Amino acid sequence: MSALSSAVRPLGPTASRLGRRHAWTAAVVVFFALLLTWNSSQTRNFGAFEIQTLLASTLALAYLAMAQAVVVIGGGIDLSVGSLLVLANCLSARFMEGTSFGGSALVAVAVLAVIAALGALTGLVISVSKIPDIIVTLATSFVWGGAALFVLRTPGGGAAPEFQTLVLGSGNAWWPALLCLLAPLLLVWAPLRRSRAGIAIYALGSSKDAAFLSGVDPLRTKVIAYAVSGLLCGLAGIATTAFTGGGSSQSTIAMNATLNSVAAIVLGGVALSGGVGGLIGPVFAVWCLYLIPNIMLGLGVDPSYGEVVKGVVVVLVVLVGGQLRLRRSRSP
Amino acid sequence: MTNSEPLLRARGVAKRYGSVVALRSVDLAVAPGEIHALVGANGAGKSTLVRILSGVIRPDAGEVEVAGKAVRFRSPAHARDTGLAPVFQDPAFAPDLTVAENLRLTTTDAGAFRRQLAALGLDDVELAEAAGMLPLPLLRMLDLARVLAHDPALLLLDEITAALPADYAERVFEAIRRARDEGRSVLFISHRLLEVQEVCDRVTVLRDGSNVDTLNTADGSEQRIVAAMLGERAALAVTEPRKVAPRTHREPGEPALVVRGISDGRRVRDVSLTLAPGEVLGITGLEGQGQDELFAILAGDRKAGGGEIVVNGEQLVARHPHEAIAHGLTLVPSDRWQALLPQRSVRENLAVPLYNAPGRWGWIHADRELHQVADAIARLSIDTRAQAQAKRLSGGNQQKVAIGRWLVGGFTTLLCFDPTRGIDVGTKHQIYDLFRELAAAGKSVLMFTSELREVPLACDRVLVLYDGRIVAELPAADADEATLLSSAHGLADTLTESR
Repeated sequence: MSALSSAVRPLGPTASRLGRRHAWTAAVVVFFALLLTWNSSQTRNFGAFEIQTLLASTLALAYLAMAQAVVVIGGGIDLSVGSLLVLANCLSARFMEGTSFGGSALVAVAVLAVIAALGALTGLVISVSKIPDIIVTLATSFVWGGAALFVLRTPGGGAAPEFQTLVLGSGNAWWPALLCLLAPLLLVWAPLRRSRAGIAIYALGSSKDAAFLSGVDPLRTKVIAYAVSGLLCGLAGIATTAFTGGGSSQSTIAMNATLNSVAAIVLGGVALSGGVGGLIGPVFAVWCLYLIPNIMLGLGVDPSYGEVVKGVVVVLVVLVGGQLRLRRSRSP
Repeated sequence: MTNSEPLLRARGVAKRYGSVVALRSVDLAVAPGEIHALVGANGAGKSTLVRILSGVIRPDAGEVEVAGKAVRFRSPAHARDTGLAPVFQDPAFAPDLTVAENLRLTTTDAGAFRRQLAALGLDDVELAEAAGMLPLPLLRMLDLARVLAHDPALLLLDEITAALPADYAERVFEAIRRARDEGRSVLFISHRLLEVQEVCDRVTVLRDGSNVDTLNTADGSEQRIVAAMLGERAALAVTEPRKVAPRTHREPGEPALVVRGISDGRRVRDVSLTLAPGEVLGITGLEGQGQDELFAILAGDRKAGGGEIVVNGEQLVARHPHEAIAHGLTLVPSDRWQALLPQRSVRENLAVPLYNAPGRWGWIHADRELHQVADAIARLSIDTRAQAQAKRLSGGNQQKVAIGRWLVGGFTTLLCFDPTRGIDVGTKHQIYDLFRELAAAGKSVLMFTSELREVPLACDRVLVLYDGRIVAELPAADADEATLLSSAHGLADTLTESR
């Protein structure tokens, strides 16, 4: 009996277990707080305007990081998030131009539906064809990028100013952008995370075989994950339209956005192997990645170094975090 | 009992993967309230049959009936809804999810699960713990409890006792008998014939993808089962182990391996042992007594906090496995997939150590390699029908490849961790024979085994590990199961201080 109980009790108190599960997110939040403090000490009268700028200019990328996170948690990776953002951006900019507030809102809903459907289609293709996610989404990234060119050949378009205000706020009002960011988290992700479908996404990413044996339908789960991801990409595109007041189908935008989304989720504690992480960490990671070049600028360093530092930070954080995770798993 | 309508009936079930026939044609009938064993050598098709019956794969031909109705399982969930509930060797728990979340995935009632856990004598399991943080044997017990919570008509247990500590195994047997008393049926797959005879009512024997015999355990002797599994020729050696039992033979001279006072500060405490050239030294113990850590330290995969390792008179401080390998200390790990390259051919898997020492300009001697590989294949009689990819070999053949690699690469002391886990009787004996042969040639073998019965078959001497310490040392001839078991449980009266 004594031998047995020693095998059964590697379990700490509930609090430490909770801490363990959310340690990474907490660390990113602390990191963000440090960066924010540093940044605010560089600026005189740091206040609502700076916060509003931070939230508004990172809104699109925050959505996109969430979109990437959902797919990666489900055991995939989506190289087409940037292209979906651009496509949503072009669609909304083209059809919102010259509309009233109501018209723009209607277009937004339609664009979200289209982009979410494209996401679901991607998930379906991956599941049915059994081609790895990375290859299918690489292909679709070209397709969506090409489609965006048809929608909007040259940069242009627009949106109802009231609509832009709704999304980003006016003047120093920082809370509209924050509300827009929280909306999908609270309305889509939180209920999903607690449902069987959401658990299935984590299970599929954690262990395909175990998930299948537990009765998870891999096709359904993949489609749901990619549809949610598509929805978030659509939001990212619309946020871009609101922020820039127009659309652009340049392919470099898509590429940059995709790569930044991957950097953000990695920094935000989502394991590329799947099954681990959440959506909050990546959002804070996006904010960190936004602040780093700003701080460099405040230090009077050539802004080009900002990108270098960003890259170094990603590698260092993942290195340290990975080591800590490894040590923990070795000594349960 | 056997006269009634069978609960499960399979007729002419067949499955092939490409050109490899996994199941030729299997008939099987399990009566209600019967514990039915399915046995067979590695590659006989047991796993394939279980995967078909649990809805993981679909058969190419044949039909399956449950309670008289023909069914074609679409998925594991469908099979479970039909009342067929499997427990596999690898528990179906997503490691990153908590136990509770895993239960939600299978829509398992937490209350029923708790009751089953209590019946298995596991009360203080924390459901909020990530499944991946729990030890494998415990997870398998949780899997069993989960399956039972679904009130299945038929339990499919695939090698559930493999590498399970003896006390857990005993609880599994109790649970199986309880299930039978409640009118459930059990299909029990195991390599351990003793268990089969103790626990099961009837046995179906598979050989080469077909069922060759079905008998009652009451009147079927072990010999008849083995004969059916292997064909008559191999049966004798298995049932009369004394004829193949080792003759102790020790080379004179310096010990091949001396371990003095090794600790890692956590699991391994002050372990010392000496291994003579030409000796096969066994180590046994319950799950989690520091054996994994001890072997990792010896193989150079883990740092020791204190103590020293002397290999052939030379002190070894290995920071990396390749340093241990260079000293002739090589490891065959318990998990074959830690060692093998699943996608690569048998030849490459065997020749891997040679790539450490390529010829001039980094060229690999294809001729030399081919020779040595062919030699290893012959010595271990590796079945090379599926040699294009190691992952397509049967479990026993994979294990042979993992060992054969060091025949090709060369070694002085072979560290083998549970080398016969999940392997059929015939292959087991081939591995024991190989160890004896190596010992006769002056090599040394240090093997951990969780199967107490194999100690006298393979080893000259055995050490018992308990709570990170060596608590007993016995010559293999005295190492009967009862003695080993009580020292493995740390019972004081058997502890010897013979050193």
